Amino acid sequence: MLSEPNLLRRYATLAAKGLDEMIAPDGKVRPHYAPLMAKLGTMPGAELARRFASSRQYLSEAGVFHQVYGEGSEQSHDWPLGHPALLIDRGEWAELSAGLVQRAGFLEALLADLYGERRVVASGVLPGILVGRNPEFLRPLADQARLGAPLLSFIAVDLGRGPDGRWWVLGDRTQAPSGAGFALENRVATSKAFPDVSRALNVERLAGFFRRFREMLFALGGPERARIGLLTPGPHNETYYEHAYLARYLGLLLLEGGDLVVHGDRAEVRTVDGFQPIRVLWRRLDADFCDPLELFGGSRIGTPGLARAVRSGALTLVNALGSGILETPALLAFQKPLAQALIGEDLKLPTIATWWCGQEKIRRFVEENAARLQLGPAFPGAPHFPVMGETATRPGAGDQTVPASTREGVTLVGQEIAALSTTPVWGQKGLEPRPVTLRAFLMRDEEGWHVMPGGFARVADSRDARVISMQRGGGSIDVWISSETAAKPVTLLGPKGDRFSRRLPGALPARAADNLFWLGRYAERGEVAARLLRLHAGRAGEGWSEGELETRIATILEDYGVEIDGGHPERGLLALARQAADTASRIRERFSPDAWRTLKDIVALILDAIAEKDGDVVGLTSAILTHHSGFAGLAHENMYRFTGWRFMQCGRALERGQATAATVSALLSEEPPAGALEALLTFTDSSVTYRRRYSVDLSEETVVDLAVLDPLNPRSLAFQVNTLAEVTSALPGVHLGETPDLLFRRLARLKVRLQTADAVEVDSAFLDRIVGDLALISDLLTQRYLLSSPRAAAEWSGGPE
Amino acid sequence: MKYAIRLKITYDYPSAVSDARHLLRVRPRDGGGQTLQSIDVAIAPRPGEHARETDFFGNGVDAIAFFAQQTELSVVMEAKVTVDRPPAPLDASPSLDAVADEALHGRSAEGASPIHHLGPSRRIAPLAALTAYVAETFETAKQPAGAAVMALTKRIRADFAYKPGSTSVGTTVAEAFAQKRGVCQDFSHVMIAGLRANGIPARYISGFLRTEPPKGQPRLEGADAMHAWVDAWLGNDIGWVGFDPTNGILAGNDHIVVAVGRDYSDALPIAGAFVTAGPQATDHFVDVVPIG
Repeated sequence: MLSEPNLLRRYATLAAKGLDEMIAPDGKVRPHYAPLMAKLGTMPGAELARRFASSRQYLSEAGVFHQVYGEGSEQSHDWPLGHPALLIDRGEWAELSAGLVQRAGFLEALLADLYGERRVVASGVLPGILVGRNPEFLRPLADQARLGAPLLSFIAVDLGRGPDGRWWVLGDRTQAPSGAGFALENRVATSKAFPDVSRALNVERLAGFFRRFREMLFALGGPERARIGLLTPGPHNETYYEHAYLARYLGLLLLEGGDLVVHGDRAEVRTVDGFQPIRVLWRRLDADFCDPLELFGGSRIGTPGLARAVRSGALTLVNALGSGILETPALLAFQKPLAQALIGEDLKLPTIATWWCGQEKIRRFVEENAARLQLGPAFPGAPHFPVMGETATRPGAGDQTVPASTREGVTLVGQEIAALSTTPVWGQKGLEPRPVTLRAFLMRDEEGWHVMPGGFARVADSRDARVISMQRGGGSIDVWISSETAAKPVTLLGPKGDRFSRRLPGALPARAADNLFWLGRYAERGEVAARLLRLHAGRAGEGWSEGELETRIATILEDYGVEIDGGHPERGLLALARQAADTASRIRERFSPDAWRTLKDIVALILDAIAEKDGDVVGLTSAILTHHSGFAGLAHENMYRFTGWRFMQCGRALERGQATAATVSALLSEEPPAGALEALLTFTDSSVTYRRRYSVDLSEETVVDLAVLDPLNPRSLAFQVNTLAEVTSALPGVHLGETPDLLFRRLARLKVRLQTADAVEVDSAFLDRIVGDLALISDLLTQRYLLSSPRAAAEWSGGPE
Repeated sequence: MKYAIRLKITYDYPSAVSDARHLLRVRPRDGGGQTLQSIDVAIAPRPGEHARETDFFGNGVDAIAFFAQQTELSVVMEAKVTVDRPPAPLDASPSLDAVADEALHGRSAEGASPIHHLGPSRRIAPLAALTAYVAETFETAKQPAGAAVMALTKRIRADFAYKPGSTSVGTTVAEAFAQKRGVCQDFSHVMIAGLRANGIPARYISGFLRTEPPKGQPRLEGADAMHAWVDAWLGNDIGWVGFDPTNGILAGNDHIVVAVGRDYSDALPIAGAFVTAGPQATDHFVDVVPIG
């Protein structure tokens, strides 16, 4: 590793071409970077590598990733975190914060006017067409500001440092700004790598900002402190990870549109214990998708009636539906007159110079200067996928030409091409200057607007500053503001000595319960398939010739999608493993990260085996089974014993019960082939137990007794049914002494039948009937607790003539 | 002219639906050359919720919800409406250029303002061939906008074949324009897209036509069902004027306006969302009879 002076000399040369965050124009290190460089410069290369690795390891263990879209498939990628953090001098930060707070107040006033009196249009300050043609002007909510509630409570502002050394506003993010959760994760990961450095620099902490934000959300909900939801588009969204992370961090219910129902004017959550009211949603779903009845009719991820609930004032969304109108690029061309009209002041922060081509003089200016301007849409696009990389440039720009009339010009703006400042980021050969943008976050409570002391900085992967996007390979870094005194640790935990009561978690949303139920089923399905396959492969390895028993096992495996004959049984296992991992990823906010990683590891294990083509099926299935027992252990030891855990147990017991019944039935039907009894003992993992419990040689009756009827064997059918009966009796809405409904009657009957059966009665017909009973019990359970309605939108299909 | 109007819409759901929410836009508007004398909207089965509202464009909306399972839905609207809509002074209207310019600089952002009807909307997107088709109909930008829009109305009537069943509610402007046939909704969307792309504000009208023509006049197309036509904006002084491209005429005293919007999506008589696994069948009947 280079020593400090060398390190800096090389960097200073590289950074000399433009404005740099660390190196002043005179080639010296700016004072606020000096302590950091003093520390970094003395670290040997091996130490730096170890530190970077610990931050990477944290991110990978926490499961931080981002989705990349392309060629019709989604892929999760490692989170590209760079080092060191962007350092901002605290004096400069104070000034920037004042500008941001003023800007937030301005945006709030503008939004209130657009969804209220619309005076900026009537007085001619803002051309009406920018409202009338704006896809984010939501007419069903056109008068919502008249309720008086704040429409804006959490925003982000994208900033870049211009050649004059000031921070310039590149754009506002008001619809559903992403990045705050990633900023938190970046902070944790960076602190893992440089705990000593961040302590020494007294880096301002972020937790206080989030604590205040959470308090604000609860205050909006009223005195009873009802649950607050985070409304997400769902697992296919690029920033879903962040939604799950923030829901868990802030203690919010992670909700999709289908989890909500509007009754009267009130929004309610569909839970396993009936409908529960909800008053506040932190909205991360684009407004147009929120209500298929009044907004985009094609949305399948919204809630019919949501706009009504908002209009009535019974539901508050943070931010309001329609707040995306503030992201309209053409608004940047009217900042000064708008600010004067709305807050009577000039804005402290400069905005990237923007010209709107809906006025003839300006259209001509843009036409004449097109070469040095960047052309882009004047209106916010229909944002079907909120992309994180839209900061510095908008996609699709560049191939535009300036139209000959203002009539078409209304859709176009020209913007100055900003040369961004660079910040040091560790690359292959040491520190390299990379263009950087900063996303700052603000929240509002009764006291006013507050700036998060830090942010989410993005760096380009090359010196070309025109595009900074994680979709295209850029990365992100943490943002450090050092404070005068040692930062006081703030956490989301209450102060010591606060009185607390141990509250049970609120009712479980039906969709989350459904996912947990299927997670239990899918995980068990993967385990059963691996067990059967190992049995099959193990016998082949021991030199048994392909016989009747192998054929029967192969037939059962086919039901699990595992094909022996094609020579690629791993592919079937892979599909099962993916189902389990995908289901788990949908409920990550309710789930132990370790258990989730175990499922991901199984997928990786199978992928490796497929790549290696060594055909060691026994080795692979054994490794899978080891992971499964790890998963079961984590679920058993680490999951809070509440409703969610019970649904997972139900899914697992149902799946195992069905698998056991079906396997015993298939192997013992008619004339059991040679080795069937041993195979059954292996399948139920009961060989050792068998020898202990029965002193006789293998007989069909004793094997059936152990595999089907023995209530103490955790792999027997009776054990699964007893587990189901026990777990379901604690589900919501079950009261002793009431007439049990069909679900519990069926379970009770099945339990008794297994308790009273004799091993000689257990034949294929007996077992097949139990498979059917378990399927019915699964259906009843689903109907009663889990049905989160598949929603069909209906339109008048008669049509006018 | 005074009319008794009856609209009946029925839905059959063979496999039952639940958790249904609907927005009805079936009430004739009051104003704009027509006066609502009386109205009654009957819904069966009885909704779990029923609220009367007015939307951004001033349309009367019935918001209803059913939480129990249902296998059918029927909506009957009965109204008495007087219509007195003198023909607009088409030849005295401002030029196409002047109208486009006035519209672009409109300072009202309320529901009746032309600024909401200049750009694309859910079912309206500009189409180069259609823009050119309308531009060539408008011989010169200096001619009175009213006369120019009337010429376009007649040209669509002449160039497009009225063929019920040849299109569906989902037919796009591009498809309808390419095949040159369809029903009132298709012609209206085509005309709206063409007018907007040429700078003239245009909005979608859903409404009724008098069922039987006065003696000696031909029966109008679309009289047995709900009808659709186009409002074009002809400047601040004249405002919105109705043109019926299906029949090639001005919307006069035989036309009763129910709902206006940017396109069909804003004005559809019944919008709904519910949970179902099965198909649905729908039918509707309209009767518009002159009285007194």
